[in-house]
Amino acid sequence: MSISETVALTAPQMRRIAAIDALRAPAYALAATMAGFATIAREAGFDVWMAVTTSALVWGMPGQVAFASLYSAGASLFIIFFAVTLANMRMLLMVVSAADMMHLHMHKLPLWRRVILMQCLAITSWAHLAVAETTYPRHLLLPYFQGFSLTLYASGMLGTVFGYFLPDMVPPDLLQIIIFITPIYIFLLIATARQKANRLAVAFGGILCPVFYPVAGEWSILLAGVMGGTLAIGYARFIAKWHLEERR
Amino acid sequence: MDDYGFWGSWLAVGLAAVGTFIWRFAGVLLASKIPAQSPLMDWVNTMAYAMVAGVLMLMLVHPTGILAASGLDDRLLGLVTGVGAMMLTKRLILSLLCGILMFAASLHLF
Repeated sequence: MSISETVALTAPQMRRIAAIDALRAPAYALAATMAGFATIAREAGFDVWMAVTTSALVWGMPGQVAFASLYSAGASLFIIFFAVTLANMRMLLMVVSAADMMHLHMHKLPLWRRVILMQCLAITSWAHLAVAETTYPRHLLLPYFQGFSLTLYASGMLGTVFGYFLPDMVPPDLLQIIIFITPIYIFLLIATARQKANRLAVAFGGILCPVFYPVAGEWSILLAGVMGGTLAIGYARFIAKWHLEERR
Repeated sequence: MDDYGFWGSWLAVGLAAVGTFIWRFAGVLLASKIPAQSPLMDWVNTMAYAMVAGVLMLMLVHPTGILAASGLDDRLLGLVTGVGAMMLTKRLILSLLCGILMFAASLHLF
């Protein structure tokens, strides 16, 4: 569909299309990721209600994993709070970026509705919003996000419940392959971002983070994000521009 | 659960939820302050991309849980295959399949 054909879509139609988009692949991949969390949570001593509540309220994989690992180690509540807060700091930037992509200011929603909307934001829905941005007109991106992220949220909850009881049924080799899907899927999505600066940021952030990790631990995400993002925008804005002027 | 008891473990869940919620809430407040299509918004975007890429690479290079049982070479081979297929074909699901299949093959063959 071209942009001109999609302009006539109504918001409910857009939500339905987005839900179907989510069910094409990302919903299963995400359910598998949450199933992966549930297996870690079960080993850590969570009951199934705690695992589902954590998925529902935290709704951010690195924070959830940090929580479950510290819980199993018997860390203090303060350490748990601090580590989860640190691990999910990227939410701040993702929320700002997502609000910008879906032109949230155009819709004039009350604060509580914006907060509920962003509670449903996950890496997958954020990355897909960037794809939808290139296909659909701006006023439909909010309904797109609603349909997409709610479908993901529901499958994430189902995945958590399944994952909690799954290890009894699925051989570990297959489980590994299933859990491998989400990181690769999202990586392919963001590595093909439309803007060059964003693709560069993916390359820098992806290289820097595992390099920093042995030294910086959970701080490596923040460090790699700030340094990688700054290098990328710096390169795209100044150095690439300088090349352009050279050639004239 | 013995370490924390019933209330302690649910308090831990609550703290984990609050620790994430504060960033989302701050993001909602901050989003209305930053003008669209400004250099500042571009910078926020590149940092968001770099952080997400970092998180994903951490999952692949230093995984936790069941994925940790696979080898680093298996996971990186899967990633490189997926990215390579994406660059050649520009087709997401096809490239994803290539990456996953390579990972699966690498797990069992090498």
